[in-house]
Amino acid sequence: MAFSFRGGVSPNPNKNTENCSIDLFPLPKTLCVPVSQHIGKPATACVAVGDTVVKGQLIAVADGNFSANIYSPATAVVSGFETLPLFNGNSCVHILLDVCNEQKPPLTLEPIADFDKDKIFKRVKDAGIVGMGGATFPTHIKLSPQKTVNTLIVNAAECEPYITCDYRVILEHTADVVEGAKLEAAALNVNNILIALTKVIGNDSGITVVRLKTKYPQGSEKQLIYALTRRVVPQGGLPSDIGVVVSNVQTVFAVCRAVRHGEPLVERVTTFSGNAAQNKGNFVVPVGTPVSTIMDFAKVSNAEKVISGGVMMGFALCDFGVTSGKGSSAFLFLTHDEINNSPISACINCGRCHRACPLSLMPMYIDGFAAAGELDAAKKYGALDCFECGCCAYVCPAKRPLVQSIRLAKKLLREKKH
Amino acid sequence: MTIKVSGSPHITSPLTTRKIMARVCIALIPCVVAAVYLFGIYSLLIIAVSVGFAVLTEYLFNKVTHRPQTVQDLSAVVSGLIFGLSLPVSVPLYLVAVGAVFAILVVKMLFGGIGKNFANPAVTARIFVTLAWASAMGRFVSPLNYQNGFLNEFFKYCGYALTNTGVDAVTVATPLADNTVALLNLFLGNHGGCIGEVCALAIIAGGIYLIATRTIDFKIPLVMLATFALAILVFCGVDKVLPSLLTGAVLFGAFFMATDYSSSPNSFVSIIIYSAGIGLLTAIIRVYGSYPEGVSFSILLMNITAPLLDKFFVPRAFGKVKKSKEAVK
Repeated sequence: MAFSFRGGVSPNPNKNTENCSIDLFPLPKTLCVPVSQHIGKPATACVAVGDTVVKGQLIAVADGNFSANIYSPATAVVSGFETLPLFNGNSCVHILLDVCNEQKPPLTLEPIADFDKDKIFKRVKDAGIVGMGGATFPTHIKLSPQKTVNTLIVNAAECEPYITCDYRVILEHTADVVEGAKLEAAALNVNNILIALTKVIGNDSGITVVRLKTKYPQGSEKQLIYALTRRVVPQGGLPSDIGVVVSNVQTVFAVCRAVRHGEPLVERVTTFSGNAAQNKGNFVVPVGTPVSTIMDFAKVSNAEKVISGGVMMGFALCDFGVTSGKGSSAFLFLTHDEINNSPISACINCGRCHRACPLSLMPMYIDGFAAAGELDAAKKYGALDCFECGCCAYVCPAKRPLVQSIRLAKKLLREKKH
Repeated sequence: MTIKVSGSPHITSPLTTRKIMARVCIALIPCVVAAVYLFGIYSLLIIAVSVGFAVLTEYLFNKVTHRPQTVQDLSAVVSGLIFGLSLPVSVPLYLVAVGAVFAILVVKMLFGGIGKNFANPAVTARIFVTLAWASAMGRFVSPLNYQNGFLNEFFKYCGYALTNTGVDAVTVATPLADNTVALLNLFLGNHGGCIGEVCALAIIAGGIYLIATRTIDFKIPLVMLATFALAILVFCGVDKVLPSLLTGAVLFGAFFMATDYSSSPNSFVSIIIYSAGIGLLTAIIRVYGSYPEGVSFSILLMNITAPLLDKFFVPRAFGKVKKSKEAVK
């Protein structure tokens, strides 16, 4: 039996790149590494203009506990610092690097061979590992929960259409993923490890592999936990409140590399896809690679939308100077036919948005009340609870921009509070 | 290179309002065929006038009020079809035209067009013409065609003796809740009634199509019919249940009228109360009321409660914790 949750949608998976094995992305001439590649405080740059750094050298130090270290992805010369936009519209300081032609051997930390809880925790923190499913939550904070945890779920649901990087990682680096899961479990002192997939590709003693129903948003943390354990994360709470920690496949993989091989997090596997890209596939992309470089490499033409992340929750880019980061699961180059161009018409009150909502919210009413400025009513139907998965807008036959309406309601409600 | 930038999600399902309405039209085809077969070509005229005036009204309203044209979404066609099919074959065509104009102009467009009408246009128009032309609407004409048509041959072949309830007379007293008509006749539409409502087979075929394509919520017809059957069982006894289900507008109302999107509620509890309410009220009006038929009144009444129901029964969001007394302190 495949595990599932309430609501959700089944968009065309479009996993065109699932048979493309992981390839190295050619090292760009220039890199532009943002100091904020995680939720929390941006890191502080610890290099100066003119410094030569090598791959694996610390270039920005975590600012406090709720932050993450950043390492250089290549042998390069620091050419400057500039405040530039991030993919999500915010901006932060970027460290500009001119990559040297001659690459020196990378710096590594001392490999750890055992399962010592404190050593693993410290290494995860030092290596700058963050949640690589997209939320980029610092992993060492996840590994030090306030409450007792008894289950670790490795999230390999990858429910967004097009994206196949996690699938390739678990297929090609199975042993490292399993080892990483065991390391995280050791740090958490947990015996129960679940690896959640939509396709079962193997088994390992001490680890349960569970099959999920192919449905969006199956990879959403709270929906995934509910599907597998029937436990409900209370609103505003964390999964650790109900004894669960969820980690993305690539996070777990990065933990293994950092602990066993001493490699800090400087690159990740990212999917390039969409019909506007000729050179599709799954590539190991260094952090700080500009999207324009990726577009040249992927031979993009006639793209009507460029998306960082997935088509359901990703960000449409307008500035191709923005760079890849630790959370970049995909860059999608979509043609006119692949994206939503439908004109918006009146709501027909069909109720599909409510039935598709994994949280049982009522988007049709939030939409109407937000437009009318009746914020209390919008709140009553769940505006503040929404996590913007986009199922409602996906199923809407009138093609209403429901998620935007909900964002508007959220924004106005927050302003009203202050 | 022009680039589009917008908020997520960036893709949408292929389903559109127009496709949904087209599905409803497809689901109504068996009813139209049955109507023409059973009641003759005049019933096609009724349907054509109803659809024509419904679409024309919406088109002209949008023209006159300088609104974007909406007739291409086919919702006026659906309203026209349902209204036309819910009339008896004895009505004059001007009545059909007036009813169709009333449905679209007063019930739908004046309240803001598609999705904004608080009541089902076809149902409200039917009530309007029932009250305005009580004598024309109160006669349930028997099908003209079953005496010498294919159905009769079929019955003879099967060895059924046709119960002649008004074969000779053009009009008969209402056969509603009359158990003397053979159930099979009722099922195949071989009895007096409105042109689209007599043939249970055609209605159920259309209803199954709508449920299978997930165009309508199966809960509405299911709960409505179950409540209605239960109420009839309690009020009149077991032998009245099937004839009651197969006569009048119960089936047609359950699949095509009560399921109207804009006038039905959305949350689970609301849908159950709404559908059960229609079923119960229909049974009460039929058994104890002075009108022989109560489906349209019941639907209209529950339509009005739909927004209130959704206001009272907001589903609890996933993960939302009920505020305990301690938390309030």
